[in-house]
Amino acid sequence: MTDGQEKAIVVSDLRRVYHTSKGILRKTRQAVEAVKGISFDVEFGELFGLVGPNGAGKTTTIKMLTTLLTPTSGTAKVLGFDIVEDVVEIRRRIGIIFGGERGLYYRVSGRENLRYFADLYGVPMSKREKRIAELLDMVGLSDRADSKVEEYSRGMKQRLHIAKGLINDPQLVFMDEPTIGLDPQAARDTRAMIKQLVEKSKTILLTTHYMFEADELCRRIGVISNGEIVALDTPAGLKRFVKDITVIEVEAFGIVDTDILNLRRRPEVKSVSANLEGERQTMRIQTPKGSEFIPEVTKLLSAAKIFDIRTKEPTLEDAYLRLVS
Amino acid sequence: MTKLQTISGSFRMSLLHFFADPQWIIPNIIAPFVFTIVALVLFGNVSTSVALYAVLGGGMMGMWGNTLYGSGFALAFDRWNGTIEYVLATPSRLVWIIAGRSASNAVLGLVNALAIVLVVVIGYGTLFVVANPVLFILALIVTLASLSALGVIFCSAFLLSRSAQVMTNGLEMPIYVATGSMFPIALLPLWSHPISLSLGPTWGIDAMRYASDAAYSGLGFGYWTDLLVVAASTAIYMAIGFWLFVVVEKKVRRDATLTEY
Repeated sequence: MTDGQEKAIVVSDLRRVYHTSKGILRKTRQAVEAVKGISFDVEFGELFGLVGPNGAGKTTTIKMLTTLLTPTSGTAKVLGFDIVEDVVEIRRRIGIIFGGERGLYYRVSGRENLRYFADLYGVPMSKREKRIAELLDMVGLSDRADSKVEEYSRGMKQRLHIAKGLINDPQLVFMDEPTIGLDPQAARDTRAMIKQLVEKSKTILLTTHYMFEADELCRRIGVISNGEIVALDTPAGLKRFVKDITVIEVEAFGIVDTDILNLRRRPEVKSVSANLEGERQTMRIQTPKGSEFIPEVTKLLSAAKIFDIRTKEPTLEDAYLRLVS
Repeated sequence: MTKLQTISGSFRMSLLHFFADPQWIIPNIIAPFVFTIVALVLFGNVSTSVALYAVLGGGMMGMWGNTLYGSGFALAFDRWNGTIEYVLATPSRLVWIIAGRSASNAVLGLVNALAIVLVVVIGYGTLFVVANPVLFILALIVTLASLSALGVIFCSAFLLSRSAQVMTNGLEMPIYVATGSMFPIALLPLWSHPISLSLGPTWGIDAMRYASDAAYSGLGFGYWTDLLVVAASTAIYMAIGFWLFVVVEKKVRRDATLTEY
Protein backbone atom coordinates (compact mmCIF):
# COMPACT_ATOMS: atom_id res chain seq x y z
CA MET A 1 0.00 0.00 0.00
CA THR A 2 1.33 3.44 -0.85
CA ASP A 3 1.26 6.16 1.79
CA GLY A 4 -2.13 7.64 2.42
CA GLN A 5 -3.98 5.01 0.43
CA GLU A 6 -7.15 4.12 2.29
CA LYS A 7 -8.83 1.84 -0.21
CA ALA A 8 -7.52 -1.32 -1.80
CA ILE A 9 -9.19 -0.52 -5.14
CA VAL A 10 -10.51 2.80 -6.40
CA VAL A 11 -12.18 2.71 -9.82
CA SER A 12 -13.31 5.93 -11.42
CA ASP A 13 -15.29 6.16 -14.65
CA LEU A 14 -13.47 3.15 -16.13
CA ARG A 15 -14.32 2.36 -19.73
CA ARG A 16 -13.16 -0.23 -22.21
CA VAL A 17 -14.00 -0.46 -25.90
CA TYR A 18 -13.09 -3.48 -28.01
CA HIS A 19 -12.62 -3.17 -31.74
CA THR A 20 -13.60 -6.12 -33.84
CA SER A 21 -13.59 -6.59 -37.59
CA LYS A 22 -15.84 -8.54 -39.93
CA GLY A 23 -15.23 -9.82 -43.45
CA ILE A 24 -12.05 -10.83 -45.24
CA LEU A 25 -11.67 -8.69 -48.34
CA ARG A 26 -13.87 -5.83 -47.19
CA LYS A 27 -13.19 -5.52 -43.53
CA THR A 28 -15.61 -3.52 -41.47
CA ARG A 29 -14.58 -2.44 -38.02
CA GLN A 30 -16.99 -2.39 -35.16
CA ALA A 31 -16.59 -0.91 -31.68
CA VAL A 32 -18.10 -2.75 -28.72
CA GLU A 33 -18.24 -0.92 -25.40
CA ALA A 34 -17.75 -3.71 -22.85
CA VAL A 35 -17.38 -1.48 -19.79
CA LYS A 36 -19.20 1.85 -19.80
CA GLY A 37 -17.64 4.14 -17.25
CA ILE A 38 -17.96 2.20 -14.00
CA SER A 39 -16.93 3.53 -10.59
CA PHE A 40 -16.58 1.68 -7.29
CA ASP A 41 -14.10 1.12 -4.50
CA VAL A 42 -13.06 -1.78 -2.31
CA GLU A 43 -11.93 -1.48 1.31
CA PHE A 44 -8.84 -3.25 2.65
CA GLY A 45 -9.77 -6.68 4.01
CA GLU A 46 -13.11 -6.66 2.21
CA LEU A 47 -14.49 -9.44 0.06
CA PHE A 48 -16.18 -7.53 -2.73
CA GLY A 49 -18.34 -9.31 -5.29
CA LEU A 50 -19.00 -8.38 -8.89
CA VAL A 51 -21.98 -10.25 -10.30
CA GLY A 52 -23.64 -10.05 -13.66
CA PRO A 53 -24.72 -12.10 -16.67
CA ASN A 54 -22.33 -13.36 -19.34
CA GLY A 55 -20.87 -10.49 -21.33
CA ALA A 56 -21.78 -7.94 -18.66
CA GLY A 57 -18.17 -6.73 -18.34
CA LYS A 58 -17.00 -8.54 -15.18
CA THR A 59 -13.99 -10.25 -16.71
CA THR A 60 -13.00 -7.16 -18.69
CA THR A 61 -13.07 -5.17 -15.44
CA ILE A 62 -10.87 -7.76 -13.70
CA LYS A 63 -8.47 -7.83 -16.64
CA MET A 64 -8.09 -4.06 -16.50
CA LEU A 65 -7.54 -4.07 -12.74
CA THR A 66 -4.95 -6.85 -13.02
CA THR A 67 -3.11 -4.84 -15.74
CA LEU A 68 -3.78 -7.39 -18.49
CA LEU A 69 -5.79 -4.84 -20.45
CA THR A 70 -5.45 -1.10 -20.67
CA PRO A 71 -8.63 0.92 -20.20
CA THR A 72 -9.92 3.05 -23.05
CA SER A 73 -10.57 5.87 -20.56
CA GLY A 74 -11.03 6.47 -16.86
CA THR A 75 -8.69 5.65 -14.01
CA ALA A 76 -8.22 2.94 -11.43
CA LYS A 77 -5.84 2.53 -8.55
CA VAL A 78 -5.00 -0.86 -7.10
CA LEU A 79 -3.26 -0.77 -3.72
CA GLY A 80 -2.52 2.86 -4.46
CA PHE A 81 -0.88 2.20 -7.83
CA ASP A 82 -2.16 3.31 -11.20
CA ILE A 83 -3.22 0.40 -13.44
CA VAL A 84 -1.62 1.94 -16.53
CA GLU A 85 1.56 3.51 -15.12
CA ASP A 86 2.53 1.20 -12.24
CA VAL A 87 2.04 -2.18 -13.86
CA VAL A 88 4.96 -4.03 -12.22
CA GLU A 89 4.22 -2.64 -8.74
CA ILE A 90 0.65 -3.89 -8.97
CA ARG A 91 1.64 -7.30 -10.35
CA ARG A 92 4.04 -7.86 -7.46
CA ARG A 93 1.26 -7.37 -4.91
CA ILE A 94 -1.77 -9.09 -6.40
CA GLY A 95 -2.81 -12.68 -7.02
CA ILE A 96 -5.06 -13.93 -9.80
CA ILE A 97 -7.30 -16.97 -9.62
CA PHE A 98 -9.46 -17.65 -12.63
CA GLY A 99 -11.94 -20.50 -12.72
CA GLY A 100 -12.02 -23.24 -15.32
CA GLU A 101 -9.87 -26.14 -16.41
CA ARG A 102 -7.16 -24.14 -18.14
CA GLY A 103 -4.31 -22.02 -16.80
CA LEU A 104 -1.99 -24.79 -15.58
CA TYR A 105 0.89 -26.69 -17.15
CA TYR A 106 -0.67 -30.15 -17.41
CA ARG A 107 2.43 -32.12 -18.36
CA VAL A 108 4.35 -31.28 -15.22
CA SER A 109 3.58 -31.73 -11.54
CA GLY A 110 1.59 -29.40 -9.32
CA ARG A 111 4.78 -28.64 -7.39
CA GLU A 112 6.62 -27.69 -10.62
CA ASN A 113 3.74 -25.39 -11.57
CA LEU A 114 4.09 -23.60 -8.23
CA ARG A 115 7.89 -23.53 -8.46
CA TYR A 116 7.73 -21.86 -11.86
CA PHE A 117 5.31 -19.18 -10.78
CA ALA A 118 7.34 -18.63 -7.59
CA ASP A 119 10.31 -17.88 -9.86
CA LEU A 120 8.28 -15.53 -12.05
CA TYR A 121 7.04 -13.67 -8.95
CA GLY A 122 10.59 -13.49 -7.58
CA VAL A 123 9.85 -15.42 -4.38
CA PRO A 124 13.32 -15.65 -2.78
CA MET A 125 14.97 -19.01 -3.43
CA SER A 126 15.59 -19.44 0.30
CA LYS A 127 11.85 -19.25 1.01
CA ARG A 128 10.48 -20.83 -2.17
CA GLU A 129 10.21 -24.49 -1.16
CA LYS A 130 8.79 -23.65 2.28
CA ARG A 131 6.17 -21.39 0.72
CA ILE A 132 5.20 -24.09 -1.81
CA ALA A 133 4.91 -26.72 0.95
CA GLU A 134 2.70 -24.39 3.04
CA LEU A 135 0.39 -23.69 0.11
CA LEU A 136 0.14 -27.33 -0.91
CA ASP A 137 -0.76 -28.14 2.67
CA MET A 138 -3.33 -25.34 2.77
CA VAL A 139 -5.13 -26.57 -0.35
CA GLY A 140 -4.78 -30.24 0.62
CA LEU A 141 -2.55 -31.27 -2.27
CA SER A 142 0.62 -32.26 -0.40
CA ASP A 143 0.09 -35.96 -1.17
CA ARG A 144 -0.36 -35.37 -4.89
CA ALA A 145 2.13 -32.53 -5.30
CA ASP A 146 4.48 -34.56 -7.47
CA SER A 147 1.82 -36.05 -9.75
CA LYS A 148 1.30 -34.54 -13.18
CA VAL A 149 -1.53 -32.01 -13.27
CA GLU A 150 -3.19 -33.93 -16.12
CA GLU A 151 -3.91 -36.66 -13.55
CA TYR A 152 -5.71 -34.25 -11.21
CA SER A 153 -9.48 -34.08 -10.83
CA ARG A 154 -11.28 -30.83 -11.67
CA GLY A 155 -11.48 -29.91 -7.98
CA MET A 156 -7.77 -30.58 -7.44
CA LYS A 157 -6.92 -28.36 -10.39
CA GLN A 158 -8.96 -25.56 -8.87
CA ARG A 159 -7.17 -26.00 -5.54
CA LEU A 160 -3.86 -25.78 -7.39
CA HIS A 161 -5.12 -22.59 -9.06
CA ILE A 162 -5.73 -21.14 -5.61
CA ALA A 163 -2.26 -22.13 -4.42
CA LYS A 164 -0.75 -20.59 -7.56
CA GLY A 165 -2.68 -17.36 -7.05
CA LEU A 166 -1.26 -17.07 -3.53
CA ILE A 167 2.35 -17.98 -4.33
CA ASN A 168 3.55 -14.37 -3.90
CA ASP A 169 1.56 -13.88 -0.67
CA PRO A 170 -0.55 -11.14 -2.32
CA GLN A 171 -2.32 -8.39 -0.42
CA LEU A 172 -5.17 -8.45 -2.89
CA VAL A 173 -6.59 -11.46 -4.76
CA PHE A 174 -8.73 -11.31 -7.89
CA MET A 175 -10.96 -14.34 -8.36
CA ASP A 176 -12.90 -14.75 -11.57
CA GLU A 177 -15.61 -17.39 -11.12
CA PRO A 178 -13.44 -19.69 -9.00
CA THR A 179 -16.16 -22.31 -8.46
CA ILE A 180 -17.37 -22.59 -12.04
CA GLY A 181 -17.76 -26.21 -13.14
CA LEU A 182 -16.93 -27.66 -9.72
CA ASP A 183 -19.00 -30.37 -8.07
CA PRO A 184 -20.85 -29.26 -4.91
CA GLN A 185 -18.22 -30.60 -2.52
CA ALA A 186 -15.30 -29.04 -4.42
CA ALA A 187 -17.21 -25.74 -4.66
CA ARG A 188 -17.86 -25.85 -0.92
CA ASP A 189 -14.14 -26.50 -0.25
CA THR A 190 -13.22 -23.58 -2.48
CA ARG A 191 -15.62 -21.27 -0.65
CA ALA A 192 -14.13 -22.41 2.67
CA MET A 193 -10.66 -21.49 1.39
CA ILE A 194 -11.91 -18.09 0.27
CA LYS A 195 -13.28 -17.47 3.78
CA GLN A 196 -9.91 -18.47 5.25
CA LEU A 197 -8.21 -15.87 3.08
CA VAL A 198 -10.52 -13.15 4.34
CA GLU A 199 -9.73 -14.24 7.91
CA LYS A 200 -6.07 -13.72 7.02
CA SER A 201 -6.90 -10.09 6.11
CA LYS A 202 -6.59 -10.55 2.36
CA THR A 203 -8.67 -8.26 0.20
CA ILE A 204 -10.63 -10.17 -2.44
CA LEU A 205 -12.48 -9.10 -5.54
CA LEU A 206 -14.65 -12.01 -6.62
CA THR A 207 -16.83 -12.46 -9.67
CA THR A 208 -19.40 -15.21 -9.68
CA HIS A 209 -22.54 -16.38 -11.41
CA TYR A 210 -23.86 -18.00 -8.27
CA MET A 211 -25.94 -15.62 -6.17
CA PHE A 212 -26.01 -17.84 -3.10
CA GLU A 213 -22.21 -17.83 -3.24
CA ALA A 214 -22.08 -14.04 -3.41
CA ASP A 215 -24.63 -13.88 -0.59
CA GLU A 216 -22.58 -16.24 1.58
CA LEU A 217 -19.17 -14.69 0.95
CA CYS A 218 -19.35 -11.03 0.02
CA ARG A 219 -19.58 -8.01 2.29
CA ARG A 220 -20.70 -5.85 -0.64
CA ILE A 221 -21.78 -6.71 -4.15
CA GLY A 222 -21.71 -4.68 -7.32
CA VAL A 223 -24.26 -5.82 -9.91
CA ILE A 224 -22.94 -5.22 -13.40
CA SER A 225 -25.14 -5.38 -16.46
CA ASN A 226 -24.37 -4.28 -19.98
CA GLY A 227 -21.09 -2.73 -18.87
CA GLU A 228 -22.65 -0.61 -16.13
CA ILE A 229 -22.94 -1.03 -12.39
CA VAL A 230 -26.68 -1.03 -11.83
CA ALA A 231 -26.56 -1.53 -8.05
CA LEU A 232 -23.93 -1.67 -5.34
CA ASP A 233 -24.84 -2.63 -1.79
CA THR A 234 -24.56 -5.31 0.90
CA PRO A 235 -26.42 -8.57 0.16
CA ALA A 236 -29.15 -7.47 2.62
CA GLY A 237 -29.33 -4.07 0.93
CA LEU A 238 -29.72 -5.63 -2.49
CA LYS A 239 -32.50 -7.90 -1.24
CA ARG A 240 -34.44 -4.76 -0.31
CA PHE A 241 -34.88 -4.15 -4.05
CA VAL A 242 -37.34 -7.04 -4.01
CA LYS A 243 -38.94 -6.56 -0.57
CA ASP A 244 -42.22 -5.56 -2.24
CA ILE A 245 -42.55 -8.81 -4.15
CA THR A 246 -43.19 -12.48 -3.61
CA VAL A 247 -41.66 -15.22 -5.69
CA ILE A 248 -43.84 -17.94 -7.15
CA GLU A 249 -41.76 -20.99 -7.91
CA VAL A 250 -43.09 -23.53 -10.39
CA GLU A 251 -41.81 -27.01 -11.18
CA ALA A 252 -43.35 -28.39 -14.34
CA PHE A 253 -42.94 -30.16 -17.64
CA GLY A 254 -43.99 -28.75 -21.00
CA ILE A 255 -43.42 -25.04 -20.42
CA VAL A 256 -42.58 -23.33 -23.71
CA ASP A 257 -41.06 -19.94 -24.52
CA THR A 258 -44.47 -18.49 -25.38
CA ASP A 259 -45.65 -19.18 -21.81
CA ILE A 260 -42.76 -17.11 -20.47
CA LEU A 261 -43.50 -14.27 -22.92
CA ASN A 262 -47.18 -14.30 -21.94
CA LEU A 263 -46.29 -14.11 -18.25
CA ARG A 264 -43.84 -11.26 -18.84
CA ARG A 265 -46.58 -9.27 -20.58
CA ARG A 266 -48.76 -9.32 -17.47
CA PRO A 267 -48.60 -6.00 -15.57
CA GLU A 268 -48.53 -7.83 -12.19
CA VAL A 269 -45.31 -9.62 -13.15
CA LYS A 270 -42.00 -7.91 -12.40
CA SER A 271 -39.68 -10.59 -13.67
CA VAL A 272 -39.66 -14.18 -14.93
CA SER A 273 -36.71 -16.53 -15.03
CA ALA A 274 -36.86 -20.13 -16.13
CA ASN A 275 -34.75 -23.18 -16.72
CA LEU A 276 -36.48 -25.18 -19.41
CA GLU A 277 -33.83 -27.90 -19.68
CA GLY A 278 -34.63 -31.47 -18.69
CA GLU A 279 -37.79 -33.16 -17.57
CA ARG A 280 -38.29 -31.03 -14.45
CA GLN A 281 -38.43 -27.43 -15.60
CA THR A 282 -38.28 -24.63 -13.07
CA MET A 283 -39.66 -21.11 -13.27
CA ARG A 284 -39.52 -18.18 -10.86
CA ILE A 285 -42.09 -15.41 -11.18
CA GLN A 286 -41.72 -12.17 -9.22
CA THR A 287 -45.00 -10.47 -8.42
CA PRO A 288 -46.28 -8.10 -5.75
CA LYS A 289 -49.60 -10.01 -5.70
CA GLY A 290 -48.20 -12.98 -3.76
CA SER A 291 -50.19 -16.20 -3.55
CA GLU A 292 -53.24 -14.49 -5.08
CA PHE A 293 -51.49 -14.75 -8.41
CA ILE A 294 -51.07 -18.55 -8.30
CA PRO A 295 -54.44 -19.31 -10.00
CA GLU A 296 -53.47 -16.93 -12.83
CA VAL A 297 -50.15 -18.73 -13.29
CA THR A 298 -51.86 -22.12 -13.27
CA LYS A 299 -54.26 -20.89 -15.92
CA LEU A 300 -51.48 -19.47 -18.10
CA LEU A 301 -49.55 -22.74 -17.86
CA SER A 302 -52.58 -24.95 -18.48
CA ALA A 303 -50.86 -26.73 -21.37
CA ALA A 304 -47.97 -27.80 -19.16
CA LYS A 305 -47.94 -30.43 -16.42
CA ILE A 306 -47.33 -28.66 -13.10
CA PHE A 307 -45.66 -30.79 -10.42
CA ASP A 308 -45.41 -28.14 -7.75
CA ILE A 309 -46.23 -24.44 -7.32
CA ARG A 310 -45.54 -22.40 -4.19
CA THR A 311 -44.61 -18.95 -2.93
CA LYS A 312 -41.14 -18.19 -1.55
CA GLU A 313 -39.34 -15.31 0.11
CA PRO A 314 -37.24 -13.41 -2.42
CA THR A 315 -33.52 -14.19 -2.43
CA LEU A 316 -30.47 -12.32 -3.64
CA GLU A 317 -30.93 -14.12 -6.95
CA ASP A 318 -34.39 -12.55 -7.29
CA ALA A 319 -32.91 -9.13 -6.58
CA TYR A 320 -30.23 -9.80 -9.15
CA LEU A 321 -32.72 -10.95 -11.78
CA ARG A 322 -34.81 -7.86 -11.24
CA LEU A 323 -31.76 -5.63 -11.55
CA VAL A 324 -30.35 -7.16 -14.70
CA SER A 325 -33.60 -7.88 -16.53
CA MET B 1 18.59 -11.63 -8.98
CA THR B 2 14.92 -11.63 -10.07
CA LYS B 3 15.86 -11.51 -13.76
CA LEU B 4 18.20 -14.44 -13.26
CA GLN B 5 15.49 -16.34 -11.37
CA THR B 6 13.03 -15.64 -14.20
CA ILE B 7 15.50 -16.84 -16.83
CA SER B 8 16.56 -19.94 -14.88
CA GLY B 9 12.96 -20.82 -13.94
CA SER B 10 11.84 -20.49 -17.57
CA PHE B 11 14.88 -22.48 -18.71
CA ARG B 12 14.00 -25.35 -16.33
CA MET B 13 10.28 -25.32 -17.17
CA SER B 14 11.06 -25.43 -20.88
CA LEU B 15 13.36 -28.44 -20.40
CA LEU B 16 10.71 -30.22 -18.32
CA HIS B 17 8.16 -29.72 -21.05
CA PHE B 18 10.52 -30.91 -23.72
CA PHE B 19 11.05 -34.22 -21.95
CA ALA B 20 7.40 -34.49 -20.94
CA ASP B 21 6.20 -34.11 -24.53
CA PRO B 22 8.23 -36.42 -26.82
CA GLN B 23 6.67 -35.07 -30.05
CA TRP B 24 9.22 -32.20 -30.04
CA ILE B 25 12.09 -34.65 -30.40
CA ILE B 26 11.10 -35.32 -34.04
CA PRO B 27 11.46 -31.81 -35.54
CA ASN B 28 14.13 -30.66 -33.12
CA ILE B 29 16.49 -33.61 -32.77
CA ILE B 30 15.69 -36.36 -35.25
CA ALA B 31 15.12 -34.20 -38.37
CA PRO B 32 18.45 -32.29 -38.20
CA PHE B 33 20.18 -35.57 -37.35
CA VAL B 34 18.78 -37.21 -40.49
CA PHE B 35 19.80 -34.20 -42.63
CA THR B 36 23.34 -34.49 -41.33
CA ILE B 37 23.55 -38.22 -41.96
CA VAL B 38 22.31 -37.64 -45.53
CA ALA B 39 25.01 -34.98 -45.94
CA LEU B 40 27.67 -37.40 -44.66
CA VAL B 41 26.51 -40.06 -47.11
CA LEU B 42 26.66 -37.52 -49.96
CA PHE B 43 30.18 -36.49 -48.97
CA GLY B 44 31.20 -40.16 -49.19
CA ASN B 45 34.67 -40.01 -47.72
CA VAL B 46 34.30 -38.58 -44.21
CA SER B 47 37.64 -36.89 -43.67
CA THR B 48 38.40 -34.92 -40.53
CA SER B 49 37.40 -31.64 -42.20
CA VAL B 50 34.12 -33.16 -43.45
CA ALA B 51 33.48 -34.50 -39.96
CA LEU B 52 34.02 -31.00 -38.61
CA TYR B 53 31.40 -29.60 -40.98
CA ALA B 54 29.03 -32.43 -40.20
CA VAL B 55 29.28 -32.17 -36.44
CA LEU B 56 29.18 -28.38 -36.24
CA GLY B 57 26.65 -28.08 -39.05
CA GLY B 58 24.39 -30.71 -37.55
CA GLY B 59 24.76 -29.15 -34.14
CA MET B 60 23.92 -25.72 -35.50
CA MET B 61 20.89 -27.12 -37.31
CA GLY B 62 19.72 -28.72 -34.10
CA MET B 63 20.30 -25.58 -32.07
CA TRP B 64 18.65 -23.30 -34.61
CA GLY B 65 15.72 -25.65 -35.24
CA ASN B 66 15.12 -25.94 -31.52
CA THR B 67 15.41 -22.21 -30.96
CA LEU B 68 13.10 -21.36 -33.82
CA TYR B 69 10.42 -23.91 -32.99
CA GLY B 70 10.86 -23.30 -29.29
CA SER B 71 10.43 -19.54 -29.60
CA GLY B 72 7.63 -19.93 -32.11
CA PHE B 73 5.70 -22.25 -29.88
CA ALA B 74 6.79 -20.79 -26.53
CA LEU B 75 3.81 -18.46 -26.39
CA ALA B 76 1.49 -20.50 -28.60
CA PHE B 77 1.95 -23.24 -26.02
CA ASP B 78 0.90 -20.86 -23.24
CA ARG B 79 -2.09 -19.80 -25.31
CA TRP B 80 -3.16 -23.43 -25.70
CA ASN B 81 -2.71 -24.13 -22.00
CA GLY B 82 -4.50 -20.94 -21.01
CA THR B 83 -1.42 -19.93 -18.99
CA ILE B 84 -0.51 -16.89 -21.07
CA GLU B 85 -2.49 -14.45 -18.95
CA TYR B 86 -1.06 -15.86 -15.72
CA VAL B 87 2.46 -15.59 -17.13
CA LEU B 88 1.96 -12.05 -18.38
CA ALA B 89 0.36 -11.00 -15.08
CA THR B 90 3.55 -11.76 -13.15
CA PRO B 91 6.02 -8.94 -12.46
CA SER B 92 8.66 -10.67 -14.63
CA ARG B 93 9.27 -9.07 -18.00
CA LEU B 94 8.16 -11.34 -20.81
CA VAL B 95 11.47 -10.81 -22.58
CA TRP B 96 13.39 -12.58 -19.73
CA ILE B 97 10.86 -15.39 -19.65
CA ILE B 98 11.34 -15.95 -23.38
CA ALA B 99 15.12 -15.57 -23.08
CA GLY B 100 15.15 -18.47 -20.59
CA ARG B 101 12.96 -20.64 -22.78
CA SER B 102 14.92 -19.75 -25.89
CA ALA B 103 18.26 -20.57 -24.20
CA SER B 104 16.93 -23.95 -23.09
CA ASN B 105 15.87 -24.74 -26.64
CA ALA B 106 19.28 -23.78 -28.02
CA VAL B 107 21.05 -25.97 -25.45
CA LEU B 108 18.82 -28.92 -26.30
CA GLY B 109 20.05 -28.63 -29.88
CA LEU B 110 23.48 -29.69 -28.63
CA VAL B 111 22.08 -33.19 -28.19
CA ASN B 112 22.04 -33.39 -31.96
CA ALA B 113 25.72 -32.43 -32.23
CA LEU B 114 26.68 -35.09 -29.66
CA ALA B 115 24.72 -37.75 -31.56
CA ILE B 116 26.53 -36.82 -34.77
CA VAL B 117 29.91 -37.00 -33.01
CA LEU B 118 29.05 -40.58 -32.06
CA VAL B 119 28.02 -41.46 -35.65
CA VAL B 120 31.20 -39.91 -37.09
CA VAL B 121 33.47 -41.63 -34.59
CA ILE B 122 31.75 -45.02 -34.41
CA GLY B 123 30.13 -45.27 -37.85
CA TYR B 124 32.89 -43.75 -39.98
CA GLY B 125 35.90 -44.29 -37.71
CA THR B 126 36.87 -40.63 -38.13
CA LEU B 127 38.22 -38.84 -35.11
CA PHE B 128 36.63 -35.53 -34.29
CA VAL B 129 39.39 -33.58 -32.61
CA VAL B 130 38.99 -30.07 -31.24
CA ALA B 131 42.29 -28.21 -31.47
CA ASN B 132 41.52 -25.72 -28.71
CA PRO B 133 38.70 -26.94 -26.42
CA VAL B 134 38.64 -23.78 -24.26
CA LEU B 135 38.18 -21.44 -27.25
CA PHE B 136 35.70 -23.89 -28.74
CA ILE B 137 33.53 -23.89 -25.62
CA LEU B 138 33.74 -20.10 -25.37
CA ALA B 139 32.59 -19.75 -29.00
CA LEU B 140 29.86 -22.31 -28.39
CA ILE B 141 28.49 -20.43 -25.39
CA VAL B 142 28.46 -17.09 -27.24
CA THR B 143 26.82 -18.73 -30.25
CA LEU B 144 24.14 -20.26 -28.03
CA ALA B 145 23.51 -16.79 -26.59
CA SER B 146 23.29 -15.39 -30.12
CA LEU B 147 20.76 -18.04 -31.16
CA SER B 148 18.74 -17.42 -28.01
CA ALA B 149 18.69 -13.68 -28.70
CA LEU B 150 17.50 -14.32 -32.27
CA GLY B 151 14.79 -16.55 -30.79
CA VAL B 152 13.68 -13.68 -28.56
CA ILE B 153 13.29 -11.40 -31.59
CA PHE B 154 11.24 -13.96 -33.49
CA CYS B 155 9.12 -14.68 -30.44
CA SER B 156 8.02 -11.07 -30.16
CA ALA B 157 6.63 -11.36 -33.69
CA PHE B 158 4.90 -14.59 -32.72
CA LEU B 159 3.20 -12.83 -29.81
CA LEU B 160 1.54 -10.55 -32.34
CA SER B 161 0.75 -13.16 -34.94
CA ARG B 162 -1.27 -16.32 -34.76
CA SER B 163 0.71 -17.72 -37.70
CA ALA B 164 3.76 -18.77 -35.72
CA GLN B 165 3.83 -22.26 -37.22
CA VAL B 166 3.93 -20.98 -40.80
CA MET B 167 6.66 -18.49 -39.96
CA THR B 168 8.81 -21.08 -38.21
CA ASN B 169 8.56 -23.46 -41.16
CA GLY B 170 9.56 -20.68 -43.53
CA LEU B 171 12.54 -19.54 -41.49
CA GLU B 172 14.13 -22.90 -40.70
CA MET B 173 15.97 -23.80 -43.92
CA PRO B 174 17.11 -20.29 -45.00
CA ILE B 175 19.04 -19.86 -41.77
CA TYR B 176 20.73 -23.27 -42.10
CA VAL B 177 21.93 -22.24 -45.53
CA ALA B 178 22.70 -18.57 -44.82
CA THR B 179 24.82 -19.27 -41.73
CA GLY B 180 26.98 -21.76 -43.61
CA SER B 181 26.10 -24.59 -41.27
CA MET B 182 26.76 -27.37 -43.78
CA PHE B 183 29.05 -25.72 -46.32
CA PRO B 184 31.08 -22.48 -46.58
CA ILE B 185 29.06 -19.38 -47.40
CA ALA B 186 31.61 -18.68 -50.16
CA LEU B 187 29.61 -21.22 -52.18
CA LEU B 188 26.51 -19.06 -51.93
CA PRO B 189 25.74 -16.29 -54.48
CA LEU B 190 27.41 -12.97 -53.77
CA TRP B 191 24.14 -11.13 -53.13
CA SER B 192 23.39 -13.41 -50.20
CA HIS B 193 26.64 -12.68 -48.36
CA PRO B 194 25.41 -9.52 -46.59
CA ILE B 195 22.48 -11.55 -45.24
CA SER B 196 24.81 -14.29 -44.04
CA LEU B 197 27.22 -11.85 -42.45
CA SER B 198 24.45 -10.01 -40.63
CA LEU B 199 23.59 -13.20 -38.72
CA GLY B 200 25.53 -13.74 -35.51
CA PRO B 201 25.48 -17.56 -35.77
CA THR B 202 27.41 -17.34 -39.11
CA TRP B 203 30.31 -15.82 -37.17
CA GLY B 204 29.78 -18.14 -34.23
CA ILE B 205 30.09 -21.31 -36.27
CA ASP B 206 33.12 -19.82 -38.02
CA ALA B 207 34.73 -19.16 -34.61
CA MET B 208 34.01 -22.75 -33.55
CA ARG B 209 35.65 -24.03 -36.71
CA TYR B 210 38.72 -21.87 -36.04
CA ALA B 211 38.91 -23.35 -32.54
CA SER B 212 38.47 -26.90 -33.86
CA ASP B 213 40.85 -26.88 -36.80
CA ALA B 214 44.17 -25.02 -36.69
CA ALA B 215 44.35 -25.04 -40.51
CA TYR B 216 40.88 -23.51 -41.02
CA SER B 217 40.80 -20.20 -42.92
CA GLY B 218 37.01 -19.62 -43.00
CA LEU B 219 35.72 -16.06 -43.32
CA GLY B 220 39.29 -14.82 -42.96
CA PHE B 221 38.90 -12.55 -39.93
CA GLY B 222 40.24 -14.92 -37.28
CA TYR B 223 38.78 -16.37 -34.10
CA TRP B 224 38.68 -13.26 -31.90
CA THR B 225 37.11 -11.01 -34.55
CA ASP B 226 34.46 -13.66 -35.12
CA LEU B 227 33.82 -13.88 -31.39
CA LEU B 228 33.57 -10.10 -31.07
CA VAL B 229 31.05 -9.92 -33.93
CA VAL B 230 28.92 -12.69 -32.38
CA ALA B 231 28.96 -10.96 -28.99
CA ALA B 232 28.15 -7.55 -30.51
CA SER B 233 25.37 -8.95 -32.69
CA THR B 234 23.94 -10.78 -29.66
CA ALA B 235 23.85 -7.50 -27.73
CA ILE B 236 22.11 -5.82 -30.67
CA TYR B 237 19.59 -8.68 -31.00
CA MET B 238 18.84 -8.49 -27.26
CA ALA B 239 18.35 -4.72 -27.45
CA ILE B 240 16.00 -5.13 -30.42
CA GLY B 241 14.21 -8.01 -28.68
CA PHE B 242 13.80 -6.00 -25.48
CA TRP B 243 12.42 -2.99 -27.37
CA LEU B 244 10.09 -5.19 -29.44
CA PHE B 245 8.70 -6.85 -26.34
CA VAL B 246 7.98 -3.51 -24.69
CA VAL B 247 6.10 -2.39 -27.83
CA VAL B 248 4.34 -5.72 -28.32
CA GLU B 249 3.30 -6.06 -24.66
CA LYS B 250 1.73 -2.61 -24.79
CA LYS B 251 -0.01 -3.50 -28.02
CA VAL B 252 -1.54 -6.75 -26.75
CA ARG B 253 -2.79 -4.99 -23.61
CA ARG B 254 -4.34 -2.28 -25.76
CA ASP B 255 -5.80 -4.52 -28.48
CA ALA B 256 -6.81 -7.44 -26.22
CA THR B 257 -5.20 -9.98 -28.56
CA LEU B 258 -3.32 -11.89 -25.90
CA THR B 259 -5.55 -14.93 -25.75
CA GLU B 260 -6.31 -15.20 -29.45
CA TYR B 261 -4.93 -18.30 -31.07
